[in-house]
Amino acid sequence: MKLKKLEVLSKEEIESITSSALGILETIGIKIDDEKTRKICEEKGANLDGKSSFVKFPENIIKDLLKLVPESFKLHGPDGSFNFEVNTKTTQFATIGTPVRIYDPKLEKNKLKKSVLADTIQQIRVVDSLENVNCSHIDVWPSDVKFTAVHAHCLYQWAKNTKKPYGLGCLGRLASQDMMNITSLIVGSEEDLIKRPRLVGFMNPTSPLQLPKLMTNGLEVFAKYKQPTIVAPEALAGTTAPVTLAGLLAQTCAEIIGGIILAQVYSPISPVFFGTVSCATDMRSGNSALGAIESSLITIAIAQIARYYNIPSRGPGGVTESKIFDVQNGFERFSTMSLAAQAGINYITCAGTYESSLAEALELLVIDDELAGLVKRAMEGINVNEDTIAIELIKKVATSEQKGTNFLAESHTRKYMHKELYIPKLIDRGRRSTWKKKGSKDIIERARAKVDQVLADYQPYELTKDVDTQLLALIKEIEARPIELYMNAEGISGGSVNITGTEITIEKS
Amino acid sequence: MSIKDKIKELIVEWETERLKEYCRSILKNNEATASNLLKIIGDIMKFVGNQFEEEEIFLPELIGSAETVKVVIDDVLDPAIRAAGEEKETMGKVVLGTVESDVHSIGKDLVGSFLFSNGFEVYNLGVEVTANQFISKAEEIGADIIGLSSLLTMSMDFQKQVVDELKKRGLRDKYKVIVGGSPTSEDWAAQIGADGWADDAIETITLVKKLLDISE
Repeated sequence: MKLKKLEVLSKEEIESITSSALGILETIGIKIDDEKTRKICEEKGANLDGKSSFVKFPENIIKDLLKLVPESFKLHGPDGSFNFEVNTKTTQFATIGTPVRIYDPKLEKNKLKKSVLADTIQQIRVVDSLENVNCSHIDVWPSDVKFTAVHAHCLYQWAKNTKKPYGLGCLGRLASQDMMNITSLIVGSEEDLIKRPRLVGFMNPTSPLQLPKLMTNGLEVFAKYKQPTIVAPEALAGTTAPVTLAGLLAQTCAEIIGGIILAQVYSPISPVFFGTVSCATDMRSGNSALGAIESSLITIAIAQIARYYNIPSRGPGGVTESKIFDVQNGFERFSTMSLAAQAGINYITCAGTYESSLAEALELLVIDDELAGLVKRAMEGINVNEDTIAIELIKKVATSEQKGTNFLAESHTRKYMHKELYIPKLIDRGRRSTWKKKGSKDIIERARAKVDQVLADYQPYELTKDVDTQLLALIKEIEARPIELYMNAEGISGGSVNITGTEITIEKS
Repeated sequence: MSIKDKIKELIVEWETERLKEYCRSILKNNEATASNLLKIIGDIMKFVGNQFEEEEIFLPELIGSAETVKVVIDDVLDPAIRAAGEEKETMGKVVLGTVESDVHSIGKDLVGSFLFSNGFEVYNLGVEVTANQFISKAEEIGADIIGLSSLLTMSMDFQKQVVDELKKRGLRDKYKVIVGGSPTSEDWAAQIGADGWADDAIETITLVKKLLDISE
């Protein structure tokens, strides 16, 4: 049988937490900053609370909206040739993080440098080459690009450097609309983009119980274009949520469900992830502790609750607070990834990151791909049937008249070898002398060699000249925009904004 | 499909019986001589050995392919070469086994497959092989090399016994004796009066070629 799913909540406990979450949404409500959105929610049956921004959702409204959430959806790469399904039963691995620094072995001291667009491109290329990590996201932040145009530059590079899907934050309606316009150009049409989603949006509620304006503005655009959105608060036990994990779960489920139903309010049947990056607080520093064992308990519980609602789940795995490539880095990344997978999280993210996902190492990215392979093998469990028990084979080998006969050259071994035994590429299991002969390299050095190979062999994907020209013109237009335009578009200041294909008029609230 | 491609396909699929049949039909139709086929098979096994070194294939694939080829050579090609009154071309003859009181076979099987893939004629005597068995086989087939494997510190002494027994019988200079296995070392080889030691299967090829004065 396959590996049994890890559970930390009984059925009664799931019901207790979810009914508390729905109770929170009904009685306390969730704070929605955007006035227009509050009004749309009211039209759908939610109750507004006088002058406060809290919107209260009666339980029946929530349940009706949850019924609209798709159980599965597909994600496609730029040209549509690569795709995979996200559903409530399988596990996919992806990146995601917020690295602003990247490991560079050539540097003398701490070996970390500020990441630039060239690093973003390399990360996309490495993900493109991996077996198990199927989606890259805008996680290696390019510091050498105007920050209001990062999304445009990253999408342009995505189209040229991978066959896999991509993810970006729901960073306001203007940037999100840019993302849809750019991607529509890349894939050929808006219709194709809507029919075959390419982009994962991250929508992060702010704990406790707030859906910030920038995020809901972006969510509205992603929902309209039916691009799957990860609704994932980062509630910290003891700082932005109760220290009790049950309390955190009740609060964060209200936040997740709040975001999910809002996506349905904006556009029914919008694909979403029941997401989490909630974790423990380090009680010495106040920092988030993604690699803490309690963070994994939260991830396991969210996997269970997402299954309860039949919505694909997203959780972190391969995360650590370690700042170097030490044992802590190794055990936290494997522990979080393995537990998330065993819990049945459907989309495990953050491959390649460390230092609370603030730093990136392409070496860790390829190592995480291998860890994902190990974890996938573990999840397959043990296959028991007459052929795998192999009594006749045992008899044949054990009773062979030739001494020293073994199972190595048996057809049975060959038939099942790759299915039964995961054969790693980076993990060292050879003899010391062989290891020495190969240069006594540790796994980071071996991973570096693989990264160098991938980058040296890389062949970029071609865009047609026409699309390339249009994209470059669009990027130029986005680059030229003043920050005030963004502030207008997001309702931070009043005014109207006209971007390619879309006019947005905002009344200052 | 060329003869080489067909043979390669049958070797990597471990299709022993089909490969025998195919070789017989080639010989019968005079499409190639047994010596030609042996040369083709040698090239294919060299390729398979390289694939293993490059970590493109794994132990079972290497050893299984070598076993298939061994059976075909023993049953079809060797008899055909003898019938034609020809001498089989070989890089050298190696008698190989794990010494007395030791049942570990995988290491020396790998060495055997590698030697075989590199054109040597290999007589793999299995495990718990006594000094007498090693020497008798070497005498019988006119070996160039005797390879002694030991995976236990407790069985290492039996490697020395083989060397001593050769000396006792006045046959020491007739054969090159090589030793290997986890607990052994270059120092150990020197200590017991062996001619060489190799750390792994790949190094064994270099060692044997050096001992037999075969240029790389």
